[in-house]
Amino acid sequence: MTDRTGECGCGGACGDGDDRLWRTPEDYLRDGPVEAAAEFPKGVRQPALSRRTALKLLAATSLLPAAACAPPPRDIVPYVNMPERVVPGEPLQFATMVTLSGFAQPVLATSREGRPTKLEPNPAYRGAVGTSVFTQGEVLSLYDPDRSRTLLHEGEIASWSELHRTVVERVQPGIAAARGRGLRILTGRVTSPTLLDQLDTLLDRYPGARWHCWEPVDTANEQEGARLAFGRPLEVRPRFDRARRILSLDADFLGPGPAQTANAAAYADGARARARVREMTRLYCVEPSLTITGATAAHRHAVGRGNVAAVAKAVMDALEGQPIDDALPESLTDFVAAAARDLSGHPGEALIVAGRAQPPEVHALVHAINERLGANGRTVSFVAPDAVAARCRPLAPLVREMRAGEVETLVILDGNPVYDAPADLGFGAALREVPFSLHLGLMRNETARACRWHVPALHALESWGDGRTADGQTALQQPLITPLYGGRSPFALLGMLLDPLADFDDVGRRAVRAHWRQASGAADFEAWWSRNLSRGLVEDGARGTVDPGPARRHQGFQPEFEAGRDGAFEAVFLPHPSMWDGRFANNAWLQETPEPLSKLTWGNAALLAPADAEALGVEDGDVVTVMTEEGGFGLPAMVSVGQAPGSVGLFLGYGRLHAGEIGTEIGTDVYPLRRSDALWARPGLALAKGDGRRPLATTQHHHDMHGRDIVRTLDLDAFAAMEPYESHDHPPSLYPDYDYESHAWGMVIDQTVCIGCNACMVACQAENNVPVVGPDEILRGREMHWLRIDRYYKGEPENAETLFQPVTCMHCEKAPCEPVCPVEASVHDSEGLNVQVYNRCIGTRFCQANCPYKVRRFNFFGYGDDQTYENLGEPVYDAVSNPDVSVRSRGVMEKCTYCVQRISRARRTADVEDRPLGPQEVVTACQAACPTRAIVFGDLNNAESPVRVLKDEPHEYALLGELGTRPRTTYLARVRSVNGEVRRP
Amino acid sequence: MSATTETRAATLRYMPEAMGYDALTEAVTAPILTLRVGRVWWTFFLVGLAGTGMMVVSMAWLFWQGIGIWGLNSSNIWGFAIINYVWWIGIGNAGTLISSMLLLTRQKWRASINRFAEAMTLMAAAIAGLYPILHLGRPWLAYWLMPYPNTMEVWPQWRSPLVWDFFAIASYIIFSALFWYTGLIPDLATLRDRAKSRGMKMVYGAFALGWTGSVRQWARMESFHRAMAAMAVPLVCSVHSVVGLDFAAGIAPGWAETIFPPYFVVGAAFSGFAMVMTLAIPIRWGFGLQNLVTLNHLDAIAKLLLFFATIMGISYATEWFMAWYAGDEAERHLVMEHFTGDYAGLYILMLLFNVLAPQLFWLRPARRSVWTLFFVAVLINVGMWFERILITVETPSRGFLPATWRLYVPTVWDWSLWIGSLCFFLTMFLIFVRVVPFISLHEVKELDWQRRKA
Repeated sequence: MTDRTGECGCGGACGDGDDRLWRTPEDYLRDGPVEAAAEFPKGVRQPALSRRTALKLLAATSLLPAAACAPPPRDIVPYVNMPERVVPGEPLQFATMVTLSGFAQPVLATSREGRPTKLEPNPAYRGAVGTSVFTQGEVLSLYDPDRSRTLLHEGEIASWSELHRTVVERVQPGIAAARGRGLRILTGRVTSPTLLDQLDTLLDRYPGARWHCWEPVDTANEQEGARLAFGRPLEVRPRFDRARRILSLDADFLGPGPAQTANAAAYADGARARARVREMTRLYCVEPSLTITGATAAHRHAVGRGNVAAVAKAVMDALEGQPIDDALPESLTDFVAAAARDLSGHPGEALIVAGRAQPPEVHALVHAINERLGANGRTVSFVAPDAVAARCRPLAPLVREMRAGEVETLVILDGNPVYDAPADLGFGAALREVPFSLHLGLMRNETARACRWHVPALHALESWGDGRTADGQTALQQPLITPLYGGRSPFALLGMLLDPLADFDDVGRRAVRAHWRQASGAADFEAWWSRNLSRGLVEDGARGTVDPGPARRHQGFQPEFEAGRDGAFEAVFLPHPSMWDGRFANNAWLQETPEPLSKLTWGNAALLAPADAEALGVEDGDVVTVMTEEGGFGLPAMVSVGQAPGSVGLFLGYGRLHAGEIGTEIGTDVYPLRRSDALWARPGLALAKGDGRRPLATTQHHHDMHGRDIVRTLDLDAFAAMEPYESHDHPPSLYPDYDYESHAWGMVIDQTVCIGCNACMVACQAENNVPVVGPDEILRGREMHWLRIDRYYKGEPENAETLFQPVTCMHCEKAPCEPVCPVEASVHDSEGLNVQVYNRCIGTRFCQANCPYKVRRFNFFGYGDDQTYENLGEPVYDAVSNPDVSVRSRGVMEKCTYCVQRISRARRTADVEDRPLGPQEVVTACQAACPTRAIVFGDLNNAESPVRVLKDEPHEYALLGELGTRPRTTYLARVRSVNGEVRRP
Repeated sequence: MSATTETRAATLRYMPEAMGYDALTEAVTAPILTLRVGRVWWTFFLVGLAGTGMMVVSMAWLFWQGIGIWGLNSSNIWGFAIINYVWWIGIGNAGTLISSMLLLTRQKWRASINRFAEAMTLMAAAIAGLYPILHLGRPWLAYWLMPYPNTMEVWPQWRSPLVWDFFAIASYIIFSALFWYTGLIPDLATLRDRAKSRGMKMVYGAFALGWTGSVRQWARMESFHRAMAAMAVPLVCSVHSVVGLDFAAGIAPGWAETIFPPYFVVGAAFSGFAMVMTLAIPIRWGFGLQNLVTLNHLDAIAKLLLFFATIMGISYATEWFMAWYAGDEAERHLVMEHFTGDYAGLYILMLLFNVLAPQLFWLRPARRSVWTLFFVAVLINVGMWFERILITVETPSRGFLPATWRLYVPTVWDWSLWIGSLCFFLTMFLIFVRVVPFISLHEVKELDWQRRKA
């Protein structure tokens, strides 16, 4: 108070004038300061503490404790201008898109008070009904505190203006002078029409410039195969909804990938078993490592990746009536012959798909077979690729030029080639030769660190944009939140190369609008824009199909089946179902999502056939060394059902060196094995048992049902012969039944179409603030997922049948958890839900001890509270929480609630609108995410609700129903359309 | 021989050697009033104290970190805390059993061992009572188990065995303390009278509640003590059968068995008597009381152990039979798992320790060899602890759905709390023998009088 003022205490305002204080004229006339009269006469004892001081201290003592316990101050600022339509507590949904490997994934993003918290499928997108795990994980990636926050130059913090000045003064004039010679743009797959437009302009403006694409998991073989078969590059669009007989040749079309949700939805449409349906899609699968496509197939045969070509040829031979190559094992010959007969018996309804890992010749052969089966144009259609997209070149020539010093300027728009480029190219070393290298990316990853400049990118939920889905529709992208950590869009960077003095504010929105103003050709563009933007999809945005013409047969292609050479292994590279190519490594939700088949979290392993593992003398977790000419490395082994003998399955995407606090040095990097001439399979490896063990954080340790009635399986014939539904007998109970006057919620899970993709699991995690526990806690068996997918194998380990069973809280009518809770924290509600009252729970855990399904989850530590894993406790992660769901504290039990917050919201909405709740108004998070509609939820009291109808299906049953728990979640038995001619190997 | 002579013969058999009142009093009060304890006592006491410190540290870390420090997982949701709770409460079963049932059935020999058996009960039950609270996720809310009036108008769930358990343990501990104290009053008066320092006179005097030893007081005391003994019998049964119900009221395979309540009571008495044996042998050695706690006493306990061991064997066999007879796959699998699974080693050892080892007691020389008795008693204690592990941990590790099968591995904090609680017990017991007559003086004197009358 006094330090800013002068000595006189007036703040320096006083001059030389007389400013003495006086009370009476006498005082004034007397010289010197006025003396105040004593307040109390002499003799009155002055207290040691004056009244004022005492009161001050009193006030201080009463307030100080309160101040001491106050939470650290944070700014809570009310809106100055209330945004339109934002009602606190009411979520808003916007149609937008995220991308996976460049392909658009249309979504409806839920925003709460300006924070995107959840992504749901966009109902306007007719291709898919659910979302993938990657889409669900995007909201967590948005808030990732490890995201790049600042521009970097040679690893030092730099500013946008520094970069801008460099480009204006040096880079752009150089490019312009050289007409683009030395300028290289490296991107991932680009489907954005606006960005393609811009690239096109750039390449036209600078004829010497080149644009290269590198996508670690790409479809190059597919396009090249179409070119071989039809003489021109074509995009292949299998129509799984039209096919009744499908043969997958190493094609994991239900597995992870940009087309997963669309493929799964289309496949499931024909694969459901219902009382009136007598025909189901039958899927055959030949593949090296068990994938969820192979797990879903009625018949699967494990074949090494290199031998799939021989199988394709055998199929052709069988169809042509030629003898099948003797080299094929007998079981495989039978398999091929039976499948070929079945396929040819369904002309126009049969379909063969080849996987991205198969060489172009196999794709070409498959086109020829499809033509023979009458599939082309019916169960598979073709689309001409985008003309601009065709201007992109592969990675290998770029690296050659970089090494030769021909590249002056390299702009990498997203991606991480230093980590994921084929090892033989030596991209990282070549990058050092480039004088001006710039990386635009979300994370400060391996490539960002190797480039001279790094520019933080915008997350998909922060940016404007557009893109095409894998099935060719066009989606629009709009931001839901102001960029959290700054960030620039690719439009700005490309724009800077074109015209460095342009205005880069809001460049994304202007670029997208400018593109569509022209491309839409709409007379009233503003109307077109708002209409399409709110839908999230561009109307009539799909490209038309073309007739490919006859497929050429390459007689020269005569693949031979090779029985495995002794001791030599073939490495099979697999995109990881939750890491993809490694780009999701820092996403804790996805790290903790168990791989659908091995149930492995937080890492990868060498997947070995049981026979090979035995020969090598390794068990789960033992280190095996993989050796090539260049060297070797060790990783833990995992004995895998369905792995082809002689091949070892290796998941990409792990062992990142600079992923962030969550993903760095998790698992083993297998990219060093990948070569540009052996992108998908690397033969001739030597495997040996290494030293030591590395624990595998799996969530399931036993894989056999022990003959128990857990996942029921039925052949289609047996199913068709089933008696119509009769009411289930329940064991009697001493407790009286409940009456449900309003609603009675229930769920049915269809195990026939459940493909085990985990989308429900991550959707549940996002919706219900389910915490991540980390690898150590997984090893201790403490995963928190409210919804888990149990996976059982049935039959011989070499070629077992795989069964998926999503297990959530069953919401039992006679719930064993309810009577045992001593404090009544587990109670039954008026609509049949079995609810857990977190506030009341004291953590005796009797409920879980007595739960036969073991679906309850206990907070052994404060996983979501104050004992979070790594940096998951960072305040920014609070923003991803769903405010409708409590974050549970340490020491309480939690479990699936049937998304009670969604029920409540729907009920309130109906109440406000004074109408009854509709039969499909409440959709749980898992149900919404399911790409095959395997999960159906609804009101059992409503005769129109789909769940009510499914409860009457003949193959409906309750898991452990004999215990008398009367679960509200019941299952439909897995019905398989089996070909009786195929002997199970 | 008439019934009275038979009783007299039995009385003679288990009566302590003739010592006379003064010698008896001296022998029992000396450790408290005059005897200097030696290096053995101090060694054990310091070990016990150190272990108690470890228990306190383990508990502090538990409260600070949460029960995640233990080896629990989603399937084995109960671990060492429940294992040790059941084990301790079993130990705690024997003292009151000896005092009440043996009192009512006029087993005179109990007089020499009932005091410290009751003390053991009290300490074991107190430690057992700690575990269910420590085991909670939010232990500071343990009082919610009590039916107290509150603004939320929420009561405990009366259908929950844990609520029954809460009442069973609470009443057992309260009752055991009262019962023990009632029997202690005349002996406290003896100590008061013989104490040398004024301070001790005051303390023992206060606790003796003005006991003068008048005939009226003796008569009141006698009838009150007997009435309490009669009340204790159902409590002895209830406390451990309710513990059995904690498991049996559920639906898990291996838990939902009607045999559990009686089987648990027998198991508790079994482990309790084994612990009495384990404690009696060093005490009589340490304080030179071989003529008060005679080989005949130990022989009698050994016979009881043999009896209980046989019942345990029958109970195990009943479980196997019922699993086969009921035909449930999950139950049958669990029995197979006992013999072939991950816990098979423990199960086999348990059978050896609990059923086979006590069969030695068919032989009279074994019953009268102090070393054999001690060794077998310790084996039984260990075997019963194994049984608690198997019940608490093996069963949920092999539930209905194989996908949820997991193993339980205890952590250093599980062990430290467990070993710490053993040390705490040791410490309390060592203090007990120094402050309270550990043999019921007035009852032994009564026996002596009866013998002389005979």
